[in-house]
Order: sequence, then C-alpha cells, then structure tokens
Amino acid sequence: MTTKAISSTSLAIRQLGLFAFAAVAGLAALMWGLNLLANLTASASGANSAVDAASNAITVLISSEPPQLDSSLSTDQVSGMVLGHVMEGLLRYDENNELAPGVAESWRINADSAVFRLRENALWSDGKPVTAQDFVFAWRLALAPDNASQYAFILYPVKNAEAINQGTQPPEALGARALDDRTLEIEFERPIAFFDKLTAFSTYYPVRQDFYESTDGTYGADADKLLYNGPFVIASWVHGQSLDMRRNPLYWNQGRIHLDRINAGYITSDPNTSLNLFKDDKIVLTGLTPENLTSALEQRWQIHRFMDGSLFFLELNHRPDRLTSNLNLRKALYLAQDPNELVYKVIKLPGYLPGVSLFPSFLDGPHGRFRDDHPPPAHRIDVAAARRHLALAQAELGLDEFPSLVLLTGDNTVSNVQSEYFQAVFKKNLGLDIKIDRQIFKQRLAKMTSGEFDIVMAGWGPDYDDPLTFGDLFASWNLNNRGRYSNPAYDEQVRIAQNALDAEVRMAAFANMQRIIHEDVVIIPSYDRGVAYVTHPRLQGVRRRVVGADPDYSNAYIVPEA
Amino acid sequence: MAETTYSAEDFAPAPALASVQGISRPSLSYWQDAWLRLKANRRALYSLYIVIALLAFTLVGPVVWNIDPALQDLQQISQAPQADRNATIIEPYKPWDGADAPMVARLRLAEPPTTQAVRLVWGALPGAAGYRLYRNIFPVGEERAYGLPLFETLDPAKHHFEDRLDLRPQTYFYSVVALDGQGRLTDAFETVEAEVRRVITVEEAEAMGLAEAGQALAPGDRIKLQAHPLGTDYLGRDMLARLMAGARVSLFIGLVAPLIFIAFGVAYGAAAGFFGGWMDQALMRFSDFVVALPFLLFMILIRVISGVQPGESGVAPMVLAMVLLSWPATARLVRGQILQIREEGYISASQLLGAGAPYLVLRHMIPNTLGVILVTLTFAVPTAIFTEAFLSFIGMGVAPPTASWGSMCNEGIKTMLTHPHELIFPALFISITVLAFNLLGDGLRDALDARMRSRE
Repeated sequence: MTTKAISSTSLAIRQLGLFAFAAVAGLAALMWGLNLLANLTASASGANSAVDAASNAITVLISSEPPQLDSSLSTDQVSGMVLGHVMEGLLRYDENNELAPGVAESWRINADSAVFRLRENALWSDGKPVTAQDFVFAWRLALAPDNASQYAFILYPVKNAEAINQGTQPPEALGARALDDRTLEIEFERPIAFFDKLTAFSTYYPVRQDFYESTDGTYGADADKLLYNGPFVIASWVHGQSLDMRRNPLYWNQGRIHLDRINAGYITSDPNTSLNLFKDDKIVLTGLTPENLTSALEQRWQIHRFMDGSLFFLELNHRPDRLTSNLNLRKALYLAQDPNELVYKVIKLPGYLPGVSLFPSFLDGPHGRFRDDHPPPAHRIDVAAARRHLALAQAELGLDEFPSLVLLTGDNTVSNVQSEYFQAVFKKNLGLDIKIDRQIFKQRLAKMTSGEFDIVMAGWGPDYDDPLTFGDLFASWNLNNRGRYSNPAYDEQVRIAQNALDAEVRMAAFANMQRIIHEDVVIIPSYDRGVAYVTHPRLQGVRRRVVGADPDYSNAYIVPEA
Repeated sequence: MAETTYSAEDFAPAPALASVQGISRPSLSYWQDAWLRLKANRRALYSLYIVIALLAFTLVGPVVWNIDPALQDLQQISQAPQADRNATIIEPYKPWDGADAPMVARLRLAEPPTTQAVRLVWGALPGAAGYRLYRNIFPVGEERAYGLPLFETLDPAKHHFEDRLDLRPQTYFYSVVALDGQGRLTDAFETVEAEVRRVITVEEAEAMGLAEAGQALAPGDRIKLQAHPLGTDYLGRDMLARLMAGARVSLFIGLVAPLIFIAFGVAYGAAAGFFGGWMDQALMRFSDFVVALPFLLFMILIRVISGVQPGESGVAPMVLAMVLLSWPATARLVRGQILQIREEGYISASQLLGAGAPYLVLRHMIPNTLGVILVTLTFAVPTAIFTEAFLSFIGMGVAPPTASWGSMCNEGIKTMLTHPHELIFPALFISITVLAFNLLGDGLRDALDARMRSRE
C-alpha cells in the first residue's frame, strides 16, 4: 500500500516534469518557427537596412499614415513632414533653421503689400514651370468655404481672406494677384510683421489648377494624384504600408539634396516597435520614451534631444456655467500643483522644461530669447495659499461641498499617467475629487469645442515662428480658445500684436498677455515638450524643426563607413 | 452419480437472525460523501485553501496593510520590491544660481549629489563655443556614449548646471562636452562620477507620515521611507495595497455576476424543463438567441445606455452585461437535468402522493441538480474574473484611481522591460485565482458526480 503510494507520487512527479519539459520545448520550437517565418516574410518585402550607402537610400518610420496630402487641407504632423519634402513654398527653412529662398528668388515686403519674384527654373514634376497663378489658386482653394480647411486662418493676413473664407466675398477678391507668370503681388489685410515666415507654411504651398481639376476631387489621395515641386517626389504610396520618396530630378537646387531615396517603410506609433526597428538597423531615427531610455543607454547610443516648441497646459473652462469660471478656484488649482514635480518625477524625459508661461522658451524677441527680455512670473507651489483661495471660491459659489471636476484628457500612455498624477495632486492638496474623462483625439476635440469639461489637458504647437501663434490662442474670437476665455483687455493686446510692426511694441504686448494669463489663471502651464531621440550614426544632417517639416531629411547625407 | 438423501431438518425454516448485514461504517449523506472525496483530492483541496487565502487577502488584507492604494509616493516611483529605503533629511529645495559658484578648473560637483538636485560646475574647455551636458548610468567608455543630453548652451561663459531629472540613489556619470560654433560636438570632454544619496525634506517626510509621534525631524537625520513590500508602480503607489483593492473589484465581479446569472439560469432552465412542450420550445429558442449575441458589442452598448459618466466606474454595467448574456449555458444544463429527473420513478410516486409542481421542483428536482449547478458556478467564477481583467485591460472597466488586476496589467505592460514587477504581480494574481477556481471546480465535479462513484 505504502510503496504503491510512493511510486504513484514519483510517477506523478516524473509526469509533471515531462509535461513541463514538453511545454517549454514546444514553446521554444514555436518561437523559433515564428522567427523563421518572420524572417521569410521580411525578406520577401525587401528587408533593407536603415542606411543603404550603395543606393544612397534611407528607411524611416512615420507614426501614422497621412490622411491625404492636399496641402490646402493638411493639418497633422506626418502630412507636414511628407509635404515638407515633396513641396516647396515661396520661402523655406534651411539647414540652419533660417529662412531661405524657395520658389521665390527675391522678394520685397512693405507695410501693406509684398511682391515675390519667382525663379525661372522652379518646375513641377511634369516639367512645367511653377507660376504665380499656382499660388493664387492654392490660397483660394484653402479659403473656399466649401473646403472647410482648418488652416484657412493662417492666410487671413492676405487682404479679404477672412471674408472669402466666411463666404461674404467672392474668391476673386483675394488680395493676391499674379502680375505675370513670375511675379506675385500680395496686399495685406493689415500690417503684418512676420509674413515672410508664413510663406514657408504648408497651406501656402502652390497647387496647379489644371492638374487639380484633372484629379476630379481626389487631389493628394495617391502618389499619382499629386504634382510635386520639392526636392523629392513620391514614387509609390502603398496605403497603410509605405510611402516611398525619390529625388526629384527637376528640382532647381540639386546641390542641397544628397539622398536619392527616403523610404517611409514602416507606419506605427508604438514606441517599443519603433525602438526595436532601430535596434535591428531598420530605421534611421526613433524617439525615446521614459520606459526605453535605459535600454538606449545600455545600447550605448548617442542620444539627442530637441525642444519641439509645443506647450502643454491645463486649460480651464471659462464658460459661466462652469465652476472653473471662478477666479479663486482657478488660483487654488494653479497654486496647488508644481510643474517641476510633474516634469522631473513623472515625465522623466530629458528635454522637457517645466511650464511657466504661455510662451515657450524657443520664441525669439528682438534681442535674443523673448523669455530673457520678459521673464515669466515665478511660480511656487503653495498649498496653504491654495486652500485659502479654495475656501474663498467655496464661499463665492455658495457651495457646501465641491462637486467633482471633470478632467478631460487623451487616451494614451502619457496622458493616462499625467491625468492620474493631477487627480492625486488635487485630491491631496485641495481635497478636490477629479473625474478623468479619457477620450480619443477626435472625441476629445469635440468635447473641448462643446465645452464638456472643467479642465482639459491640452497642448499647442506653433504654426509659425512668432509669439502670436500662442498669443492669439486666447483671443475671444479664436475658435481654438476652447475654454471660451473672453477678456477685452487681452483682446486689445492681441490686436496690438497683430497690427503693430515695431518689434518692441509687439513684445510689450506679448509681455502683457503673459501677465494677464498668469493673473487670470487662464491656463496652468505644465511643460514645454522635449523630444529625446537617436539617429543612425552614419546619417548626418537630419534637422529637427519647431516649425515646418520635422524631422527634415532633405539635407541629410550618408557618411562613408570609417 | 451419488445418491443424496434429505432429512426433515433440511426443510426446516432458517432461524431468524437479528441482522444479516451489519453496517459497520456510519451512514453518509450525499454532501458528507462529496466532502470526503474532495478532501482526498489534493489538488482541489489546495485550490480551496488558495481561494480561502484570496478571500482573506481581499477582506482582511486592507485592515492589516492599511495604506491608501491611490497615495502617490513620488520619492519611490517604480520601486522594485525590497529596495533600499534609507534617506537623509535635508533642507527644502532652494533655487540655485551657479553663477556665484567659484570658477573651477575641471568639471566637478558643486555640492554633494542628492536625489533633490545634482549641481555641477565646470571650467573652460579648450576651444569651446558652448557646452552640452550629459548624464549616463554607465561609464562613458571608448564609444564616447555620453548618455542623456540634459542641457545645452552656446554661451561659453556659462559654466554651471543643476540636474533635477528623475534622480535615483545610484551612481551617475556626468560629462560636459565642448561644442563648436555651429553647435556640433567636439572631442574635448570631461567626466565626473556622482554617487547620488537619497534625501527627503522635513515637509515631505511629515506629509508621508514618516516621522514618529513627537519626533522632531531635523536636517541630517537618517530616516526610513515608506515600506512597499511588493514595490511601487509608475506613480509611486503601493503595489500591495493596489493588489488588495484590485482583488476587491475582481473578486466582487467574479462572485456576484456568476451568482446572479446562475440563479437566473437555474430558474429559467427549471421552468423550461418542468413544463416542457411549447413553453420549453419558446424559452430555449430565446436562450439560443441570447447565446448568439456578441458579448463585447453588448458590453459597450450597455455601458452607453446605462449612462455611465466619464470618469465613473464601469463595474455596474459590466456585471449587468455579464448577467444578461451569460445565463443561457446554465439554463440549458439545468433544463437537461430536469428533463431527465422528470421521468424518474420517485417523481411519479411523489405526484401520486399529491405533490404539486412547486414542491416537486423545489424538493426533488433542483436539489438533484445542485451538484451540476455548483460545478458550473466554480467554472463561471474564473471566467468572470478573466472577463473583468480583459475589459479593464482594454480600458472599459474601473475608472482611475481605482485599480483592478486587469487595469494594473494594462499599466504594467508599458514598463514590462524596465520594471517587470508592475506587470508580474497582477498577472500572477489573475493566473493563480483563475487556476485555483478551475482546479476546485474540477475537484467538485469529481466529488459530486454520481456516476464517478460507481467506478471505484
């Protein structure tokens, strides 16, 4: 009896061991098989290494597929990056991030008008010259009310543009005229100090009328539904898979292009996939997240950082039916949080700067950085003061108890972590309950527009290199002012900044805006965003840009193997 | 062939014996017998212990380990279990203007490095038009892997920097590299090693409740930070407390939803089986219809209809969806059993003795299906826990800061490579719970199934 029990136990153990062995061996075999399969399929689709010196080509990753590449409609960053390589505006940003001549070979900007002289050898990819009419057509297209271009407002400095966009004037009334094929004359709605910077923006790119009309409403939807005038052309665009850019032999400035091919061979927004592709020498550039910083250090890569110019902040809802319309509540929220802690303890990425102002650190004034001339108001977390303001707010609002506030945020890792951090901070320091409303980008935008939030974690990237791109954000008429902040004193400063030509006057206006934003707690700045990234050691000359195509590979070159 | 002769005695009646068969062992009821069998099944018994331990972990745990699962200990973010938690008390942070620091020849630390700040000063490097400062956790080495770029200036007069970025008590290697006029790296660089010490201010220590009663903390005191037996997550929240809080959600859903839908399924199946005929047909065709409904789609629909406000917990709609969609399996099983039992002799006997329908169902039929029901229940529990984990994983479950095992896995998977404990612990709990309930269900089926008995 006893011996039998023992033998059955030892049998059971042996059986268990056998099972475990079979399981592990099976799993190993499966992994090996899958790996083999993956290698087979990879080689089938042409597994290029990141840098191919023989054919002078590089492979890059894009985080999402461009919805379409019609420059008059495009809004997202990936479209901006691709368009920046295949199109060229009147002016462009060069390898030192300075304005340089593009299609225009010379230009003159006066107080109320500008004249651009187009170069003779600027050609479309079908060999016809780029003419002044192409710019006029493109701008009218972006302003046509039927097209509902989200970036139409960036053309508003051109005379009558706003009226055309709102349908009160015919498109022919636009203050941009082609005097002849190579002369473009622009009349301004009002004096503007930075029109030259605007002409490098993608909405200002040319579109040729006869080609646009021949595509029958599908302009920009495919590689052959687009006419190019930039340093590269799209040779093939396999939707959802790859976007292949080749050197444009008709581009006027061949001297500045070194690469023959930029193949956007991978489309994914997953940071781990991206890191692995870089590790496997499949792509030339990848961004880093706090989670994979350590692994980048272990690989002993040369890490770069770059401030992308975006400002992230908590935007408060100023609609009168919301509790956050109370100034003392806003002050309490502002004083109860510490952007330093957010950046240094929670975000943990180099390159981020704790937010202090509406105007990010990269903006220039007449003598160096705007921030050096007009330092932002100092912020220190002060829980006691925050609680005093909260008590005042409670009395003013006549509340027995604060109901919970809704914090609207995006649905991704970064916003999840930050929203939970803010939830805990406001609970700990103010005893306020925060409900987190996670929404995908489109839904979040819809809710921001309709005002279904108390606080929203928002961000803003610059459209052009001037503080006004941030300053006019909280003008009462700006539709991107999602909290519907409305203050005549602030509007007045925006008007000054829009109309004045003198740099000092404009900077003073921006300084006033900075002060009002702080005193009124219109927003609670969180951080200026940074990017930590790694590039292939043999690829040089990649430019990161605050405004325009980012990253810009058009001047990049492959260094010979050492 | 031998002759057999019979006498009269041979035909006398046998003497009446008091007992022909003695019952030497005590009489056992069905449940006692089942319990004996379960006890003999070691796997099932251990599973039962694990289930009991889990219940204790959920109910008693928070009393013993009384830590707020939403409390963020930002001193100890993503801390592994059993990490060193000694800290020194220090003055509150004061902004530092390194411009006052004395000019030095080489890169060095201006003050002892702490987790509050590492302050560096350096001297002029040959031909530098600017500097870039890096930090690495490994020595720079041959490849010139400087590490993370922290700071960059094109002002050659600047010679100080303060690092506050995610400092942990470990050794860092800081390098300052000279830049040329275009902001490109040159070969001139210096490195300094910094052994960072963990510090905490009096204010922070008091806010965390680290000071003992009556103890006045002063800068320079040694102190032990909050203990976290299973480490902390990406916001410094205690993993053990979160696992307990998560267990409450997971086990609540795992027990309540199956109890409700099995009770409903039993009533439904019993009605269908007992009445039979067109009623059986109608009821069972309806249950077929429910089986065909896609779960995830209905889960989302119910969530939308029930008007769960954003930021509120989705537990109630989750339970509702499970109850509405999971009962048909039980109903089918019970109906089948009832159909079989209905034809048994003792039912006819009871009917002849005048028993009514409710009596027959409640007294004879359902008790005879209890074994099957119990087994279904033990198998439904792990399924429900798994469903909850899955729904929380895809973000349809609990709202932050409430934790559930599924949502903890979802968060942990992002830091799987750097801080594996954030994923491993909740995943382990889900696996063990599901396994324990499954094995227990397996044992119960063996113990309760009447047919199994005849095999011995």
